[in-house]
Amino acid sequence: MIDWTSWMDYGFMRSALLAILIITPLFGLMGTMIVNKKMAYFSDALGHSALTGIAAGVVCGIGDTNISMVVFAVIFALLLNKIGSKNTASTDTIISVFSSCSVAVGLAILSKGGNFSKYSAILVGDVLSITNREIIYLVIIFLITVGFWLVCFNWLNASCIHRTLAKSKQIPVQLMDNIFAVLVALIVMLSIKWVGILIINALLILPAAASRNLSVNMREYHFFSILFSVFSGVLGLILSYYTNVATGPMIVIIASIIYFLTYFFGKKCKE
Amino acid sequence: MKNKYMFTAVMLCAILLVGMGFTSLYVRQTAGETKNHDLTVVTSFYPMYIAVMNVIDDAEHVKLKNLSEPQTGCLHDFQLTPEDMKLLSTADVFIINGGGIENFMEEVAKTYPNLTIIEACKNTSLLAEDIYENGHEKDEHAGEAHEEGHVHEDTDVNAHAWMSVSAYESQVQTIAEGLSQADPKHREKYETSAGEYLEKLDKLKARQEQIREEAAGQSVILFHEAYAYVAEDYGLPVSYVMDLDEERKVSAGEVASVLSAIKNNQTKIILAEERYGKSMGDTVSAESDAKVLYLSPLNRGEYEKDSYIDGMEKNMEILEEAFHAQNH
Repeated sequence: MIDWTSWMDYGFMRSALLAILIITPLFGLMGTMIVNKKMAYFSDALGHSALTGIAAGVVCGIGDTNISMVVFAVIFALLLNKIGSKNTASTDTIISVFSSCSVAVGLAILSKGGNFSKYSAILVGDVLSITNREIIYLVIIFLITVGFWLVCFNWLNASCIHRTLAKSKQIPVQLMDNIFAVLVALIVMLSIKWVGILIINALLILPAAASRNLSVNMREYHFFSILFSVFSGVLGLILSYYTNVATGPMIVIIASIIYFLTYFFGKKCKE
Repeated sequence: MKNKYMFTAVMLCAILLVGMGFTSLYVRQTAGETKNHDLTVVTSFYPMYIAVMNVIDDAEHVKLKNLSEPQTGCLHDFQLTPEDMKLLSTADVFIINGGGIENFMEEVAKTYPNLTIIEACKNTSLLAEDIYENGHEKDEHAGEAHEEGHVHEDTDVNAHAWMSVSAYESQVQTIAEGLSQADPKHREKYETSAGEYLEKLDKLKARQEQIREEAAGQSVILFHEAYAYVAEDYGLPVSYVMDLDEERKVSAGEVASVLSAIKNNQTKIILAEERYGKSMGDTVSAESDAKVLYLSPLNRGEYEKDSYIDGMEKNMEILEEAFHAQNH
C-alpha cells in the first residue's frame, strides 16, 4: 500500500495545496457567472493574453512577470468589454480578433532568437512555480472576489438575466461587467503559471457546467460548482504527485469526468 | 430531488476510489527498491551520470540516480518536476556539470541547503559561448575567421565540457575528489576506479592526436555549440556557430549567412547533431560542397558504463573517415 500522506512532507506540495484550496473555490464561483453570461470564450482569450503579458514584461524589463501579466490582462479585459459593448460585430468575432492578435504579438516577442522553449512551461503549467508571494496575491484576490460577490451578486445576476431591465432599475450594468471582467483577468493571471494556458479555461468552465447539469436554483448552482472545483483540484494535485504528470491536466481530467457523469445523470432526471 | 445529493456523493467517492486505486497500482508498478543506502548520489543529466557511474563503480551501499530524463538533450530549459524534487530530497550528494547549464540550481540550493553539491566543471577551463543574435551582425563578420576566443558582448561560458576528452577527464577527477570528500569511507575505491577510467580516456586522447594531424587545422562550422569542444580538441578553427539545440527556429537570413561563411572560409566540414541539425544540414549540403558530419553530443543514450567511450569512438570514426577521404 502506498503512503497517501507522504506528499505533505514537501514544502512545494504544501504551498500547492494551499494555492489550490484558495483558488479552486474562486474558479467555481466565477465559473457560474461565466457560464451564465456565455463568456467562456472571453476567459479563454484572457488566458492566451498571458503570453503577451509576459512578453510585455520581458520587453519592459520587469523582473516579476506576474505584474506585467496582470496589468496587461486587466487592460485587455476592459478593452474587450468596451469594444464588445459597441456591437459592431458579433462578440465571438471580436474576441477572436483580440485573442489571436495578442497571442501573435506575444509569440513574436517571446520566440525572438529561437528562445520560445524558455517559456513553453507556461503552456502546460508547473506546480513548482507556486511561491509564497503568489499565495499572498491569491489570498488578496480571494478576499476581493468574495467581498464583491457578497455585495454585488444580485446586481450582477440581474444585469446578466436582462440587461435593459437591469438598467431601468438603476443598476450600473457596465460597471458590473467591467469589475467582473477584471476579476476574471486577475484570477486567470495569478493561476496560469501552474495551470497552464492551454487548459486554464477548462478549470473555469467545467465545474460550473457540471453543476448546471444538476442544480435547479442559484444556491445549488454555486454549491455544486464550488464542490466540484475544490474536489477536482485537490484530488488532481495528489494524483499528479504520485503519477508524476503535470497537475493542471490532471485536475481538468477529473473535472471532465465529473461533467460527463453529471450530464448523463441530469439527462436521465429530465426524462 | 434529494437523490441528486446522493448521486453527487456517490460519484465523488467513486472517482476518489478509482483514482486512488489506479494511482496505487501505478506506484506499485514503478516503485523501485527501498533498501537503505549509506550514500545516495544524484546526477543532473546523462554525461554526469556516466562519469559518476565509472567513479563509483561497484562501491557498496552507494546508490546512483539520475534526474528524470529531459527530452531536449541538454538541460538548458529543463524544469524540475515534483518527482525530481522528491529524488533530491533523498540525495546526499548532487553532482552537476556546472557552467550554468543547470539553471534550476538556485532553486535546489535554496530548497535543500544541506545537500552537498559537486560541480564537475569547477576545475575545468570552459570555452566562451559565442552568441550570434541575428543575421545582420553576422554579415559583417562573416568574412573574418572567428577564433575560439571571439568574445561577444553578452558572452556566457559554453558548458558542454564533456565533449572534450581532456575537459571530461578533469571533470572525472573533480567528481572523484568531491565524492571522496563527501564519503571518505569509500575514498580508495573512488580513487582507483577513477584512475582506471582515466586510463581508458587517455587512450581516446592518443587516438585524437592522430585525427588532429590528419585534420591539419582546417576551419569548421558548428551547428551545435557543444562541438566547440570537439573543434578545440582537434585544433580546428571555428568559422561559424549556429546553435541548433532544442526548439531553435532558423530564419532564412541565417541560412544565407551560413552559406556565405562556407564560401568565404572555404570550409569543407560542418559538425552537426542529427536530431536537430538534419534539415539544416541537408539544406547546406545541397547548396554547397561542404560535408556535414553528424556527431553525437553524448547527452543521451544507454545507461552503460562505457557509453561515453563508445560514443566518443563513434564520433572519432566519423571524423577519421571524413578527413581521410579529404586527404586521399
